[in-house]
Amino acid sequence: MPRPEVKFVTFSIDGREVEAPEGAMLVDGAKYGDVEIPVFCYEPKLGEPVGACRMCLVEIEGIPRLQTACSTPVRDGMVVHTQTERVKEAQNSVVEFLLVNHPLDCPVCDKGGECPLQDITFGWGRGISRMVEPKRHFKKPLELSPLIAIDRERCILCYRCVRFSQEVSEDYQLVLHERGANSFVGTFDGHPYVAPFSGNIVELCPVGALTSRAYRFRARPWDIEGAGSVCTLCPAQCNVEFTVRDERVLRVLARENAGVDDGWLCDKGRFAYQSIHSEERIVQPLVREGDELRAVSWERALEAAAGALAKAKGKVGAIVGGQTTNEEGFLLQRIMREALDSPHIDARATGAAVPLELQRALAAPGLQATVPDLEFAHTVLVLGTDPIDDAPILDLRIRRGVRRHGVKLAVATSRPSALDPNAKLWLRYAPGAEQAFVAALDAALSGADGFDALAEAADADPKALLALAAMLTADSGSADDGAGGAHGGEDVVIVWGERLGVAALPALLNVAARLGLDGRPGAGLLELPAGTNGRGLREAGVQPNAGPGLAEPTQADGKSAREIAAAAAAGELTTLYLLHSDPLREHADRRLWERALERASTVITHASVMTDAIREHATVVFPAESYAEKEGTVVHPDGRLQRLRPAIGRPGMVRSEWQLLTDIAQRIGHDLGVLTGPMATQQLVAAVPFYAGLTLEEIGGRGVRWQEREAAAAAPAAPAGPFDAGTPAPAPMPNGALRLGTFRSIWASTEVEISPALRFLAARQQLEISPADAERLGLVTGDRVEVGADGTRVSATVTLRGNVPAGTIFLGEATAESSATELLGDQPRLVEVRPA
Amino acid sequence: MIVVQRAPEPGGAGGFYRAFGETLRGLKTTFGRLVEGPQTYQYPEEKVPVYPRFRGRHRLHRFEDSQLEKCVGCSLCAAACPADCIRVVSAENTPEHRVSAGERYAAVYEINLSRCIFCGYCEVACPFDAITMGHDYEMSDYNRSDLIFTKEMLLAEPLERTPLRTESE
Repeated sequence: MPRPEVKFVTFSIDGREVEAPEGAMLVDGAKYGDVEIPVFCYEPKLGEPVGACRMCLVEIEGIPRLQTACSTPVRDGMVVHTQTERVKEAQNSVVEFLLVNHPLDCPVCDKGGECPLQDITFGWGRGISRMVEPKRHFKKPLELSPLIAIDRERCILCYRCVRFSQEVSEDYQLVLHERGANSFVGTFDGHPYVAPFSGNIVELCPVGALTSRAYRFRARPWDIEGAGSVCTLCPAQCNVEFTVRDERVLRVLARENAGVDDGWLCDKGRFAYQSIHSEERIVQPLVREGDELRAVSWERALEAAAGALAKAKGKVGAIVGGQTTNEEGFLLQRIMREALDSPHIDARATGAAVPLELQRALAAPGLQATVPDLEFAHTVLVLGTDPIDDAPILDLRIRRGVRRHGVKLAVATSRPSALDPNAKLWLRYAPGAEQAFVAALDAALSGADGFDALAEAADADPKALLALAAMLTADSGSADDGAGGAHGGEDVVIVWGERLGVAALPALLNVAARLGLDGRPGAGLLELPAGTNGRGLREAGVQPNAGPGLAEPTQADGKSAREIAAAAAAGELTTLYLLHSDPLREHADRRLWERALERASTVITHASVMTDAIREHATVVFPAESYAEKEGTVVHPDGRLQRLRPAIGRPGMVRSEWQLLTDIAQRIGHDLGVLTGPMATQQLVAAVPFYAGLTLEEIGGRGVRWQEREAAAAAPAAPAGPFDAGTPAPAPMPNGALRLGTFRSIWASTEVEISPALRFLAARQQLEISPADAERLGLVTGDRVEVGADGTRVSATVTLRGNVPAGTIFLGEATAESSATELLGDQPRLVEVRPA
Repeated sequence: MIVVQRAPEPGGAGGFYRAFGETLRGLKTTFGRLVEGPQTYQYPEEKVPVYPRFRGRHRLHRFEDSQLEKCVGCSLCAAACPADCIRVVSAENTPEHRVSAGERYAAVYEINLSRCIFCGYCEVACPFDAITMGHDYEMSDYNRSDLIFTKEMLLAEPLERTPLRTESE
């Protein structure tokens, strides 16, 4: 749906003439006249107001009774009073009423000092209570979940948490039990409230009824400082505020930015900060001596790394992890290209390089959709990604679009998606047949021949595909007056995952061209990269076949991640540089990587936690900064440059990594000319034409999309389509065996595993299987099985999942043990499942 | 017109008389009180008694019956402190390890007495009467860090009691 136009109306509040947007609720409209109306239950992020708490009563001339300002829209000529005796009496009474059952145990309450109920009682309360009867009592404190404690005595029944669960995250777990004075919040059968976004209710609760177990009693508001930064645990890059006390991060709060996160956080973003202060963190440089990694001085570690790199000139491969900042990636690619003469550097966990012309076409400024577009488009197509795993906060944004703005949602994935129930249309294709599926969609849109063959190759339902094509091209007739009139049709946003694979990209670009997405405001493509800063690293030149700014590389093309692994395993590359990357865990084909790391004579790594790869193969380990300590910039999937600011000091001997890279370069005999962090940013901005003129001040706290700046004109010209989609290989036919599909759960990361609060959620290997196959194999949920192909076995626990297509199973990648990457090669796999 | 009144010129017979006479007048008071005996406190052997409302070193209290600490670690004292000399880090009580009566207790409670200005705001702020201003005023030390009093030190009975003034004094 196109964004509503905002009209302003004039109304009078407390004798002042105020202009406010039409349709805004009085509470918000009053703010335009600097009038504050107290509220508890009102929270625009939660959707429609409910008027549950009655705190916002105001007097409106012409209406005999007091009205709730949170649910009364502003109208032209309205006359509102908020300071009359009647209103004051009502506010006093509501506060008194809300406190009837409130225990007033502020000294022991965790919310004390930042509690809206305290503030409003102080500001609008009578100060005394006539209530002498006993208050209601509950057992307390209780665990609502391992992350959240609930104290029902303090609850004022504002419904915020219940509304969040029902209308925002749509997990439908929280409900109000009983009626009237006996109401209380809980899950309907008392099971723990475990959901990917459960932590948000702690921040929403206006009293101390819901508190974070991780933060409980850690600090008071006057003990702490807030430090704004960006969460780099997934590509959604939500804006966060770290709560810091004594140089320790104690809590993470959402920092609302409509262009990024809408003010919500996932539980990983909210609780995985504990990994920063984990005992297991590496805080000093380590160098291998014999079989052991020994803690050494910086001097020695730098000598060892620089010596090995200088010796291996031309034979170095670098793998860059997703949490790397643009500056670190940029400096490393400079070292690799300028000093070491080996352009073998890659940041894509998928392993294969994307041809430069496709990249340029995909990065065309006119083709980019923004995050708010997800909410206001006519149709959103989620293609080959499940936002709940790849960028959780976008899942909420899509749900919001569907619920509040009538967005038509289509989901086309190989694995069942959390968004299926909200979708108007969902369809499945075989894992590994992405290319065939997108080509079939293109054929369905164009009506070209070969549609049936392509649909069959993708093992997708042709009828559903045609329905999807019809949905994407539907014309509601509303487009004629809008900006997109030239193309007709409707605004379509395609959210696609990097996991779609390189082969599917030409067809995807053809689909985009057919739908006229280029240059159309409110429509476009939005890629969810596999790594947090995937987009930024590509633009900074951290890829084998393009320099900074997607420019033609000055040297011959380097090797992609998979080629680096193969070359290292064959002995062609002798030194590997792993910048925040653990290829054994994150990259496909674990066995190839094991051979590569084994064969490489030197493995230099930046890491914050000891993993198998490091323990067994690393020669030099530099301690990595955590995201709360980093300084630099990252790029959001929609092109928004965001700034990381250090919130706390670095523990132990940890040093800033841009400086570390400069020091290494210095020792190799190459001066990068970087003395401060911002100088690295300056160099990056100078090297990328479409960032030109960007400063850290301009990026500021909210970030800036480069496509919206003038310098975007300097983006490399996108080649004109149509692109040759190639001949897609058909999906492997199961024939008794099972097709293997993989996904990466949001809980599959080291940060989750080493955070005490989140550890219970850490992803364990689960086999998702359709009921039909399970019945054939005689499996039920909870059985232990072994999944195998070519002699490799991975053990897993069976989970039956209704809309998994028969003939296909799904395993998780990057789990701590028995990751699916062990079974993955470069071809789609058939596997067999056996009871363990 | 300004009229300057000058004291008599010093020196001379008149001057000598005035100086000597004033000295004698002072001595008259001295000798007059001599019979009352010395008024000096022989500190440190003898302590100056203080008024009951005297604000000396803080004390933390326990409940007399259960021996649980009254302090729940709410940090209100730290918020009220104008000298910013109180540091509280609280923790959660468990059934096995119960320290205070409420849900939380002060795991760390430190007062930096070299910063404290003894204003007594902490005592006013405390909702549980857990902290009071005691009567001890002997707090000099050889080391600044020794002036940071921990919870155990504040909970302990002072080794020597500071004498209180009686009503008649």
